[in-house]
Amino acid sequence: MRSFWRRFLGNPRVAIGFVWLAFVVVVAVGASVLAPGTPFAIVSKPFAPPIGEFLFGTDSLGRSLAAGLVHGARTSLLIAILATVAAVAFGTFVGSISGFYGGIVDDVLMRLTEFFQTIPSFIFAIVLVAILSPSGTSVVIAIATVSWPPIARITRGEVLTIKAREFVQAAVVVGQRDMAILVGQVLPNALSPLIVTGSLLVANAILIESALSFLGLGAPNLMSWGFQIGAGRAFLRDAWWLVTVPGTAILLTVLSINLVGEGLNDALNPRLRDL
Amino acid sequence: MRKLRTAIVAAVVLVVSAIAGSPASAQKPGGTLVQITQPEPPNLAPYISTSAPISQVTAKIYDGLLEYGFDLKPKPSLAESWQISPDGKTVAFKLRKDVKFHDGKPLTAADVKFTIMEVLKKVHPRGINTFRDVTDVETPDDFTAVFKLANAAPYMLAALSGYESPILPKHVFGQGDIKTHPNANQPIGTGPFKFVEWRRGELVRLDKNPDYWRKGLPYLDRIVVRFINDEATRTAALEKGEAHVAGFGAVPYNDAKKLAQLPSIEVTTKGYEMISPVVELLINTKKAPLDNQKVRQAMAYAVDRQFVIDNIWFGFGKPATGLISSNFAPSGLYTAEVTKYQVPDGIERANKLLDEAGFPRKDGGIRFEIVHDITPYGPEWQRFGEVVQQQLAKVGIKATLRYEDVATWLKRIYSDYDFALTSNFLYNLPDPVLGVHRAIHGKLIRQGTVFVNGSQWSDPRADELMDKATIEPDAEKRAEYYREVQKIAVAASPIIWVFELNFPTVINKRYKDVIASPLGIYANFATAWRE
Amino acid sequence: MGAARLLRYLLRRILQAIPVVLGVVVLNFLLLQLAPGDAATVLAGEAGGAPAEYIQQLRERFGLDKPVPVQLAVYVKNILVLDLGYSFRNASPVLPLILGRLWPTLLLMGTTLVLSVGGGVLLGLFAAVWVRSWKDHVISLLAIISYAMPLFWIGLMLILLFSIKLDWLPTSGMEDAAAFYEGWERAADIAKHLILPAVTLSLFYIALYARLMRATMLDQRGLDYVTTARAKGLAERQITIRHVVRNALLPVVTVAGVQVGGLLGGSVVVESVFAWPGLGQLAFQSLFARDLNLLLGIFFISSCLVVVVNIIVDIVYILLDPRIRVG
Repeated sequence: MRSFWRRFLGNPRVAIGFVWLAFVVVVAVGASVLAPGTPFAIVSKPFAPPIGEFLFGTDSLGRSLAAGLVHGARTSLLIAILATVAAVAFGTFVGSISGFYGGIVDDVLMRLTEFFQTIPSFIFAIVLVAILSPSGTSVVIAIATVSWPPIARITRGEVLTIKAREFVQAAVVVGQRDMAILVGQVLPNALSPLIVTGSLLVANAILIESALSFLGLGAPNLMSWGFQIGAGRAFLRDAWWLVTVPGTAILLTVLSINLVGEGLNDALNPRLRDL
Repeated sequence: MRKLRTAIVAAVVLVVSAIAGSPASAQKPGGTLVQITQPEPPNLAPYISTSAPISQVTAKIYDGLLEYGFDLKPKPSLAESWQISPDGKTVAFKLRKDVKFHDGKPLTAADVKFTIMEVLKKVHPRGINTFRDVTDVETPDDFTAVFKLANAAPYMLAALSGYESPILPKHVFGQGDIKTHPNANQPIGTGPFKFVEWRRGELVRLDKNPDYWRKGLPYLDRIVVRFINDEATRTAALEKGEAHVAGFGAVPYNDAKKLAQLPSIEVTTKGYEMISPVVELLINTKKAPLDNQKVRQAMAYAVDRQFVIDNIWFGFGKPATGLISSNFAPSGLYTAEVTKYQVPDGIERANKLLDEAGFPRKDGGIRFEIVHDITPYGPEWQRFGEVVQQQLAKVGIKATLRYEDVATWLKRIYSDYDFALTSNFLYNLPDPVLGVHRAIHGKLIRQGTVFVNGSQWSDPRADELMDKATIEPDAEKRAEYYREVQKIAVAASPIIWVFELNFPTVINKRYKDVIASPLGIYANFATAWRE
Repeated sequence: MGAARLLRYLLRRILQAIPVVLGVVVLNFLLLQLAPGDAATVLAGEAGGAPAEYIQQLRERFGLDKPVPVQLAVYVKNILVLDLGYSFRNASPVLPLILGRLWPTLLLMGTTLVLSVGGGVLLGLFAAVWVRSWKDHVISLLAIISYAMPLFWIGLMLILLFSIKLDWLPTSGMEDAAAFYEGWERAADIAKHLILPAVTLSLFYIALYARLMRATMLDQRGLDYVTTARAKGLAERQITIRHVVRNALLPVVTVAGVQVGGLLGGSVVVESVFAWPGLGQLAFQSLFARDLNLLLGIFFISSCLVVVVNIIVDIVYILLDPRIRVG
């Protein structure tokens, strides 16, 4: 265990990502203390540049960008994490059952997966949000619904190859129970592509949320980074900070999630030690 | 009536001189004009849908009986003259004899009769209303069309442009079901430009009609109407000169302001005089506590119109006083003598009214909570909702925002009446009968019909006045009726009339005389030319 | 594996696909019935208002006055003979509307797929070969940055740079709107218009393939067969090319197959920014207009497309990894 942490945080890239993520989480948790009141409040003249009265300036209506950023961290992270957890849990479940049992189970589950994949995912997300009416919950549901099929397919693909390997065959021969083999032998070995894809999913969820907000389909009463970008994009050339500030927040967060995900991958993958 | 007759004579003289006079020397033929229309029209059938973008294309293809000057007075087009009987119940149009449709067949009175009686009166969304009193169109000869009316309809003469009432060829559209006609997207008209092709999602190509009945026109060889979904890209295309004209909010308001500073580009707010959009906040007057007039007035006081104009529409508007646009000031229909809500002490007045109405501030300074439905028309409308939310918060009304797509929103507001407050904008159109009655007339509280009296407010006196104005041929009397209607409605505040929206039209300066009519981009561009 | 077996497998997959596609259609049909509001209200709304009689007329014309099961039965019956119905809003049958948008979509998708898979595989490969060196860091960082930037932002920046500032490429559209080129000139013109949208969309997907490639390559390198190969004294380069790359391609192929469905819809933003006349735009517009015939038609066509691609992916999979047996 100690060696896991050493390998995990010993990598400077991972450490940097970890620090930034921790920072974002602290800000998100303490949002109401850091920026009391509603982030939608009009507090000053519009288009005040950064590093003036307000740290990151104000937007086209005179709302503080910093306050929005702090509250946006909470919304964006929460939506992304909830959606990813739901998607990964469901996708792994479907994929592993499908790959492990094969046959008719595999057929049925893969048809189900195909069904969700055949519908253009972003359009499907839009359809779901339009039907459910935009809110935090409907955005999470929409993102999770369109995100799980890749996880299922990757899990299935991995399970199929791992199943064919000697050590699994050996476990089957000694008569271990299905679930034990699946959870104990197969899934741990399928973990690294799952972690890589899963970490990209969190990032993807943040991006989908921002794209939905950008189309005006975000939760209208929740300040998020996507909302800020959507509201600022019309002024890309007049007031660069409106998009650049929340855009950078997304960029850094997505980057950090990836670095940490990669670190996890390296640390969890003991074979890399030999390299 | 005598006045009108003189006007007709004057109009005829005008036409004759226009035909006789040669075009000014600077105007050159040739060139392609690229127009940006947003969004892409769903079809090219202006006789069956008045969806805003359609006529930006089809007004170049279809002529109307009349055209209009910037004073909103009618001018001859397919009809070279017209006569109105003293009781206003008979209107006779003399048609030009040299007009051919794009397929070479001549235009006759039979086409006019067909268009009005079989098409516009039956399937045109606004035509059903405009021509409701037309009982018949008589055609004593090939070039005379006599409209027989049950009542005088002074507003009808304002609705005969190629935009509002396009004249169709009977020999084409007379066959088959007009509602699913194959020529819906293959328009054939008499206008200065002919339809060539429509590449969906991309462009519509219109080529010069060499046999146009106005000799020597149009100047342009071609108009290409492009569809660019992204607003920033539209700005970029105009800036780069890939496109040359765009209006109706196709260019973001802040970009329009910025483009105006380029030497190559001109930005005008002319060309919307017959449209006159007014931005409003619609209140559900049947829903407590908004059924209380004092509450509605307080809300009207709380909204800072100038802030909205300056920061969301970037100056392209002016505060509205009431339901009728100040564009109607020349005809006397408009009055500013109504309750004024845009006052410096608006917040105090609003607070006082709310106290009086029995809604004291409670926990956290909140008097009561409502849901504000954001209009799903684009980012400006979202910002508008957010500002209204903040401004209402100042007087203790907590508004939660809700955003739904157009279909859902329309159903909620006009079918289910399941809302408290929403925003919208309504065209005044060329006459209050066409554009204003629908918003406040008691008879038009029709559940399920979109854009009619969503606030469900009505007043017997106002209804009576509007009914009288509808059939009143005397212009001064009509104006008096409407001035009183404005006083009554504004005082009751069923709708907060926020501001008159002045759409900017962005034009590349190489192109001249593009906006030559109060219909702006809804006109035919026959006289537009390239330097 | 025998050709006959492969053929049998193919046939089975196609037969299996038919109920999937039908299921997609039926479920989407029902899902869309849940959407509040209908096409008649939207059309009347776009028209700036209309009398109730007119809206009722529209409903009858669209068949919206019939009960849902009847509408569904009619729709499924028509689908079975490949009649996708009529889009009243567009005053045109659905099929030509979709076909008109299909080839710009396929062009953009195909180019993006080639650019992103090709670029991603190469970048991932190099990153894995140079693992933990500064080159690896730079590649990974660039990949994630391009992925993490909102698509429309990249798009608009590229337009600003290459169209407005440098004046090298057109801002938008698929062809020069005023020119109406023919033949090769037209092809060259389209290619010029294709560059920015394809690059923008690829930048988004390239990261995914690069990271996946890198991760699985590193994974493969630790496996027994690689150790065996190394023990046999094979050169490192040979091991990489012959064994590792081949096996590392498996997840990439899976994901690429998965992405086809995503590409169709995911390009909505890019199509919108670059005014590219693709299916994504059409789907988006038809949803908000409640033009359900058209939207269902798009779902139908795209599901057919994805099913076909998935079958191809599975075959490639079998060819790449002989351990997976055809059941």
